[in-house]
Amino acid sequence: MLQVKNIEKYYGSKNHVTKALDRVSFDVEKGEFIAIMGASGSGKTTLLNCISTIDAVSAGSIVLEGTEISELAERELARFRRERLGFVFQDFNLLDTLTIEENIGLALMLNHSDPRVVQKQVTEVCEKLGITDILGKFPYQVSGGQKQRAACARAMVAGQSLLLADEPTGALDSTASKNLLEIMTQMNQDMGATILMVTHDAYSAGYASRVLFLKDGKIFNELLRGKRSRPVFYREILNVLALLGGDLSDVI
Amino acid sequence: MLSKPNTPDCAIRTANPDRQKNSLSLKISFRNARRQAKDYLVYFVTIVMAAALIYSFNGLVFSKELLELSVRMAYLPAMIVFASVVVVCIIGWLVNYTTGFMLSRRSRELGTYMLIGLEPKQVTGLFMKENLIIGIAAFVPGTLMGSLLFQALRAILLTLFGISYHFRLSFSPKAGGLTLVYFVLIYLFAQLKCRKRIRSMKIHDLIYYEKINEDEVIQKSSRRRRIFVISIVFGIMGTLLLMVGSTIPSFAGAACIIVFLYGFFISFSSGVPAWFESRPEKKYRRQTLLVFRTLSAKLASMGIVMATISLLFTAVLISLGLGMLFSRMFHFRAEQCCFDLFVSDTDIGVGFAETDSFEQRIDCTDANTDITAAGKFREYADYLHTNLSVADELQYPLYLSEDGVLTDYLEANTRYSSFYAADMVMKYSDYAALRAMLGYPQAVMEPGQYLVHCMPWLKNAIEKYSLSAEYDTSVIYTKEKLAQGNVYTEIFNQYLWGGNGYNFILILPDDVAGKYAMHSICYAVMTDEEIQEEQYYDLREIFYRTGTSHTGIFDVENYGTIEARSQKKRAEASEVAMFVFPLYYLALILTMTTVTILTIHQLSEMSRYRQQFTLLRKFGMEPREMVKALRAQFAVYYAMPAVPPLFITVPFILNFENIVEPEIMTGTGGALMILAVTLGLFAAVYAVYILSAYTGLKRNVLV
Repeated sequence: MLQVKNIEKYYGSKNHVTKALDRVSFDVEKGEFIAIMGASGSGKTTLLNCISTIDAVSAGSIVLEGTEISELAERELARFRRERLGFVFQDFNLLDTLTIEENIGLALMLNHSDPRVVQKQVTEVCEKLGITDILGKFPYQVSGGQKQRAACARAMVAGQSLLLADEPTGALDSTASKNLLEIMTQMNQDMGATILMVTHDAYSAGYASRVLFLKDGKIFNELLRGKRSRPVFYREILNVLALLGGDLSDVI
Repeated sequence: MLSKPNTPDCAIRTANPDRQKNSLSLKISFRNARRQAKDYLVYFVTIVMAAALIYSFNGLVFSKELLELSVRMAYLPAMIVFASVVVVCIIGWLVNYTTGFMLSRRSRELGTYMLIGLEPKQVTGLFMKENLIIGIAAFVPGTLMGSLLFQALRAILLTLFGISYHFRLSFSPKAGGLTLVYFVLIYLFAQLKCRKRIRSMKIHDLIYYEKINEDEVIQKSSRRRRIFVISIVFGIMGTLLLMVGSTIPSFAGAACIIVFLYGFFISFSSGVPAWFESRPEKKYRRQTLLVFRTLSAKLASMGIVMATISLLFTAVLISLGLGMLFSRMFHFRAEQCCFDLFVSDTDIGVGFAETDSFEQRIDCTDANTDITAAGKFREYADYLHTNLSVADELQYPLYLSEDGVLTDYLEANTRYSSFYAADMVMKYSDYAALRAMLGYPQAVMEPGQYLVHCMPWLKNAIEKYSLSAEYDTSVIYTKEKLAQGNVYTEIFNQYLWGGNGYNFILILPDDVAGKYAMHSICYAVMTDEEIQEEQYYDLREIFYRTGTSHTGIFDVENYGTIEARSQKKRAEASEVAMFVFPLYYLALILTMTTVTILTIHQLSEMSRYRQQFTLLRKFGMEPREMVKALRAQFAVYYAMPAVPPLFITVPFILNFENIVEPEIMTGTGGALMILAVTLGLFAAVYAVYILSAYTGLKRNVLV
């Protein structure tokens, strides 16, 4: 579904160049749940930004469902984002003037969906995610976990093929984090959503089917969960992180 | 033993730590004030403009040159000071509102100062110093700009008085001083309120102040629907009452309008989401969702402010409309006086029999009798011949016909309201002489005809009158029938009663006119030079002393009038200065203040807008659509408080035609023109602020 081939990303001016991504390559199959882990400054968010077309790569190519995104013009990129990609951010990024229903419906509105069916589609997705009771509320009236579930609903309501999550549990307490990760697993397994999640948190990464470890802009390691249980997979992740040299805060 | 400090700087530090603390706090205040002025540039510019306007009008109060233009200008200072008091209240409100607004936006910062150990008194002082610095920084360039603005007002006034204008830049310390007094009052009021607000707040309140949301005033939907309907009813009632035009209904109308605006904005802010809630298909169409939510969020948090702004916009539009109407009225009245001096008197001669002819009473034609000595107006003539060069003069009688056929016709078919029961009549010979005196072309009257001289607005009706089957359009006197001839409409001193007929006069052949009863005698004079104000007052003294004034009794049978063209012009100029200038002054200040508050609110949400559009861009919204959404949000936001005043002021101004004399509202003075110019002036000031806000917002938001 997604092919990332030898991408490189440089920042800075002539005199001072920072290499944020260094020949990163990997593939994502349809229906996969992938976590990308790494220490601060390892290039996780840069990688996610390049895949989400918010940032352009310096070299290499990213192909999503046969489309080479580096070749798309600004207008086509906008269309690409609204039709193919769904976003979940650490700080929820819900518009505070819109209700939860409207925040979710926004994705459909941007896709020029028929205004008469927007409400129905939103309700259907929210039923699956268990947030129908908060649809009429504003973001400031609901909990962080509910906000993040609403963000998940927004990321998939318009039939987006790839859900990109940037530290989705970063602003949640442990219970809300657990609930969200179970929801994401449900989205992945029952609803067939392909998820690419960037996280610091080994516990969150334990929910993924595959974990990519980034260090200094390069893929350092890759772990496949296979048939292992989540606690076993979690321990393996911690082992890799220890090898990676991240400090304690990165591991917990 | 302590060694003496080496440097003066060190000496200050050691000897006076309070002074050092003050200098630091002043430094912080200066830095913050500079940042505030940048962040709230619109507010700063408005305060500068307000200072300029206040100074320029104060300049009028203290300008000896302008006040000596006419005796009537003696009332100008009182009018300007009265208007300035209102202006001080308005600007005081702006400063207080903006200061409070800045406080809410910066409460976290002020709370942090307290957290690190500054006393509430010091924090208050810091904040107040910043605002004072902004005030002083606005006052100085404001008064300098005011000097230029004063020159513009001076130019307008001198032109109105017919005096040539020469640019002369000057600074009036008295005007500057009075402006300073007003500014001190404005800032003292704002500072005291602000001090009270900060001192009553605790660190927690300050840090979380910006998070406090304004609650919706009315929560229940059934109640807000009722209030919405009631407010609309009040709005319609208020507009109708304002259109009546008399005092008590006007006050009642104004009260209704106030109820309407507050009720409308309070209920509307809650009603919009409810309306869209039941119409999701409309809500999700194009940018509607973003626009209506931005609007409802705004109205929920600033419904009362919006209502106040809307109310002030109504006041602005009404002030501008009235200003233009007054200006038109004063100008019209001045230009209707076509003679350098005109005196009339219904006292047609003492000691004469009713049957005596005019020539017997005022023996103008007798070569042995000096016109000035024999005439009714001998004293006036004596004075004029002694003090001025008389180019031409005429004493002539006016007659009243036996019936008022044309008067009745005009009353039935136009807005004409009669003053005399019968039609006023003038001899053709006198008419011809007066036309010659005024330099008008000769009037042609064929045998068997009569002419009509009327004000332009009656011409069509009078011409139709000659074709009317319902009325006997001929003038019959002792079996003589005269048909209607030409209708003339040049300015002929017909605007008010006591002139050459009230709005119209019939011109009959001398022998026919002479058979009617004499009504009054008139004295019309053209002089080579303008009658000066002192000379006019001398003539008026004769008017009162000789009894021409009839000691102030005014009725159709018993009155006298005196008018001088030059004095009418002076009256017009003085009235414009006293009534129109203050109205425009208030309108301009009100517009700037209210739009500033609207704009500050809009610009203060820059970061929220930026966050919204950054997110929308990530979600794939196209730049073109983002521009459309931003424009729509902007347009609706600025249109909201401006639309209800339009529904009130458009019928109000159009109704001017029904409340003032119809002849005033013709041509370029028409109600439609007044409406167009009023809305144009308002829109011009409004547009400047909107464009500047939109440009700033677009540049910062759609990056």
